[in-house]
Amino acid sequence: MSQLYIEDIELGDDVGPLLKEPDRAQLDAYVKAWGTTTGRFVSDEAAQAEGFTGVILPGNMSMGLLAQLLTNWVGLEGKVRRLDVDFRRSILPGDKLNCSGIVTDIQMVDGENQVTLDVFTETQKGERALQGTALVVLPNKG
Amino acid sequence: MTTDYQEEERQVMANLDYDRSVVGVEVDVGKHEVTKEKIIEYAEALGETNPVYFDEEFAKGTPYGGMIAPPLFYNLFSLASGLDPQVNFGTTGFDAGQHAEFFEPVRPGDTIYATSQISSVYAKTGRTGTMVFTVRRTSYRNQNGELTTVVERRNVRRDIRK
Repeated sequence: MSQLYIEDIELGDDVGPLLKEPDRAQLDAYVKAWGTTTGRFVSDEAAQAEGFTGVILPGNMSMGLLAQLLTNWVGLEGKVRRLDVDFRRSILPGDKLNCSGIVTDIQMVDGENQVTLDVFTETQKGERALQGTALVVLPNKG
Repeated sequence: MTTDYQEEERQVMANLDYDRSVVGVEVDVGKHEVTKEKIIEYAEALGETNPVYFDEEFAKGTPYGGMIAPPLFYNLFSLASGLDPQVNFGTTGFDAGQHAEFFEPVRPGDTIYATSQISSVYAKTGRTGTMVFTVRRTSYRNQNGELTTVVERRNVRRDIRK
C-alpha cells in the first residue's frame, strides 16, 4: 500500500471515488455482527410497513463504507480524526455507491498537517445519500 | 420565510412532550469486550481491503504494531441504550447522522467502557415540515482510561403522514 503525504495534495483535490456495491449478503452479515434481529434492516415486511420497498442499510453501515474512503486515502501513517455525516436518503442493498470527497482546507495545527474534506456518498441515481465533512491528518514526506 | 420557520420551531419546542430532566445527565451504558473475530467479521461485512483490519501478521509491521478495528467499529457494541428523553413527536424515528471523533485506536482484547448523555433536543423546520432532533453523545474509553471515540448520534422524529 502506497502512502499519501501532505506534499502530494492541494486544495480542491478530489478524493476517491471508492465504489461500493453492498449486497444483501453483506447487509445480512453486518446486522448479524451488530446483533440486530428485527426491523427495517432485517425484514422486508418491516421495511415495507414503513414505506420502503424492502430492507435498507443502517446509516452507520453506510457511514462505515464512507469511512473506508478516508482510511484508504490517508494510509497507515495518516489518521482519520473526525467524520460528521448526515444520512439524507436511504440506501438499498444492491445500490451502486460512489463514495467521494474534495479537499477544502489544509492547515498546520500543533505541528500536524490537518486536512479538511467535504465527503459524500452518491447512489446510481445521482442522489446524495450521505453528506458531511471530515478531518484527517497526513504525514510529511521523508 | 426564515422568521416563520423560527417561530414554528420555537412553538414546537415550547409545547414538545419530552423528559427535560434527562438532558445533560451522563450515565454508564456498560462495557464491550473487543475480539479479533468480531473485528474481522465487521471488516468483511464492509468489504474492507486494508489488511490492518484482518491480518495480524501484516498489522505487526505497521505503525500500529498490531491489528486495529476500523474507525466506525463502535457501532457494533452491544451496550445499554442510556437515558431516554421519550420525545413524543411525529410518527416515526430515523438515524439522521453521526458526528464521530477518533482518538486511540480500538484493538483486539480491549475492553471499551461507554458513557452516554442526551446532549440536546431541538426542532428544525423546513419546507417538508418540522422535525425534532435528539442528539445523544457517547464517549468510549479503553481499559487504560484512554478516550477512543466520541460520537454524537442524531435521531430525528417526524410525521410521515404529512
